[in-house]
Amino acid sequence: MGIVGCSNQKVAAAVFVCTEMIEIKGLVKKFGDFTAVDGLDLRIETGEFFGLLGPNGAGKTTTISMMSTVLLPTSGEILIDGQKLDRKASSQKRKLSVITQEYSMRQDMTIDEVMEYQGRLYYMPLKEIRKKSEELLEFAGLSEFRKRTVRHLSGGMKRKVMICRSLLIDPEILLLDEPTAGMDALSRRQMWNLLRQLNEKKMTIVLTTHYIEEAQALCDRVALINRGKLQKLDTPDALIEDLGAFAVDLTSEEGLVSRYFHDRDEAIKYLSEAGPSASFRATTLEDVFVECAGRKLQ
Amino acid sequence: MRRQEAAVDKENFGMGIVTVLWEKWVEFRRDFYKITVAAMISPLMYLIIFGMGIQTTSHGEPYLHFLVPGVVAMATMHGSFSAIVQNMSTQRLYEKALDQVMVSPTPLWQFIMGQIIGGSLRGLYAGAIILLLTAPIRTDLVFNGLSVFIMFLNGMVFSTIALVLSFMAKSYADPPKFTSYIITPMSFLCNTFFSTEQMPSGFRQAVSILPLSQSCAMIRSIANGEPAGIFGFIVLAAYLAVFGTIAVVFIYKKKNL
Repeated sequence: MGIVGCSNQKVAAAVFVCTEMIEIKGLVKKFGDFTAVDGLDLRIETGEFFGLLGPNGAGKTTTISMMSTVLLPTSGEILIDGQKLDRKASSQKRKLSVITQEYSMRQDMTIDEVMEYQGRLYYMPLKEIRKKSEELLEFAGLSEFRKRTVRHLSGGMKRKVMICRSLLIDPEILLLDEPTAGMDALSRRQMWNLLRQLNEKKMTIVLTTHYIEEAQALCDRVALINRGKLQKLDTPDALIEDLGAFAVDLTSEEGLVSRYFHDRDEAIKYLSEAGPSASFRATTLEDVFVECAGRKLQ
Repeated sequence: MRRQEAAVDKENFGMGIVTVLWEKWVEFRRDFYKITVAAMISPLMYLIIFGMGIQTTSHGEPYLHFLVPGVVAMATMHGSFSAIVQNMSTQRLYEKALDQVMVSPTPLWQFIMGQIIGGSLRGLYAGAIILLLTAPIRTDLVFNGLSVFIMFLNGMVFSTIALVLSFMAKSYADPPKFTSYIITPMSFLCNTFFSTEQMPSGFRQAVSILPLSQSCAMIRSIANGEPAGIFGFIVLAAYLAVFGTIAVVFIYKKKNL
């Protein structure tokens, strides 16, 4: 496999050995008359940190659900390491771990039991489950709560349990659906650091998020999807460059309007002509996102 | 790759079933008192009201002799059905805990099998409680290994039906409806409190072919020292095969589980 499609950051490290870990071909998912995912094609390389961005209802969670076989596609297919992923594909599923948007755990189990259940589902020996659980729970600061049932944990703690649970099995691919939703700023930064560390160990990470700065900070490449269709796909820097690296915001009767420029001098000239209500700044991935989706997002 | 998968599955053959049984054990251990009391209350009421309160006879024998095998079979049905239908619907619709299983490499047929066996064991436990409670009463009824096997088979059938229904449930309100529409009528009509022979023709044949009718008849025959016959086993096996197949097809093929 060539290096076409690999992110710039990864090229040096990959040294022409990029391989496609995940390939999505013509993926379609319909719920009755509603098409949630509409002919999505993606290639995600081994060890890549890949972001799926889109407004509410864009089809991000549906895509992740199909990648974890919870939902089956209406048409199209997903390949993991070149092999079709379906509910029977044990060897492909063994590589996958998912952190869903919802707290998908037995609420009446203790943290220890949740971890043991996960380990057993992946055929891990009991000794290994206990040893790794202890390490992960210690790392997440959950050791003292291990006998507490999930129902009695705070939202942030539940999220941490889900992270520990997904890492217990040493996955090659980590699918994250809004992993930092509901987390405070400090916990979110800790999560970012953890994800970076995991990605440095060549774990392939697919992330959906509403926090655009999260995608910009973490992802090698991002796919912008809207109404189930792929709108743009590139590195965050390339997407910003494509829109124009410099932005001038104008406050008008219509609200905040931004104009984008490739050339700094051109932007400054526009700013000086626009009057005192205008302001200058660097373009962010959120600008790309808003332009692409056509509406302001959180 | 498929060969590699087969080798891994062979190496861990049955581990998925053990995992589900472990999960069921965790649940049983935690809710032991609730499960035990719930399994006792209704059958005990029926035994007290119909068997002891309303003193009557059936076929020249005390009515209690007729009632006990029926109540044992009914308790098995209730125990198995309720152990699966509520739990699985909650896991699928509310907790989304089924997602954890779906994404794991555990073969889904083993998950189904584990649920069926686990549910059946819960039914067996409920039936055993009734047997223990009625043990001090002198009835001369016979309960042997074959009775236990029939109770287990009956539990498997109703666990499987519960599993299929819980995969079909669209909201949290559905499981109680399933109980009202399916389990409650069966509890009263299927050879538990009175013989299906007394029903009008047509209706009698329809009720007789239901799994609980057959389980009651077989357990009652054994209790009276008569052979259980083969027909009941065939009927139960047929239900198990049909609903088991539907459950497996659902979990592998249902697009929006």
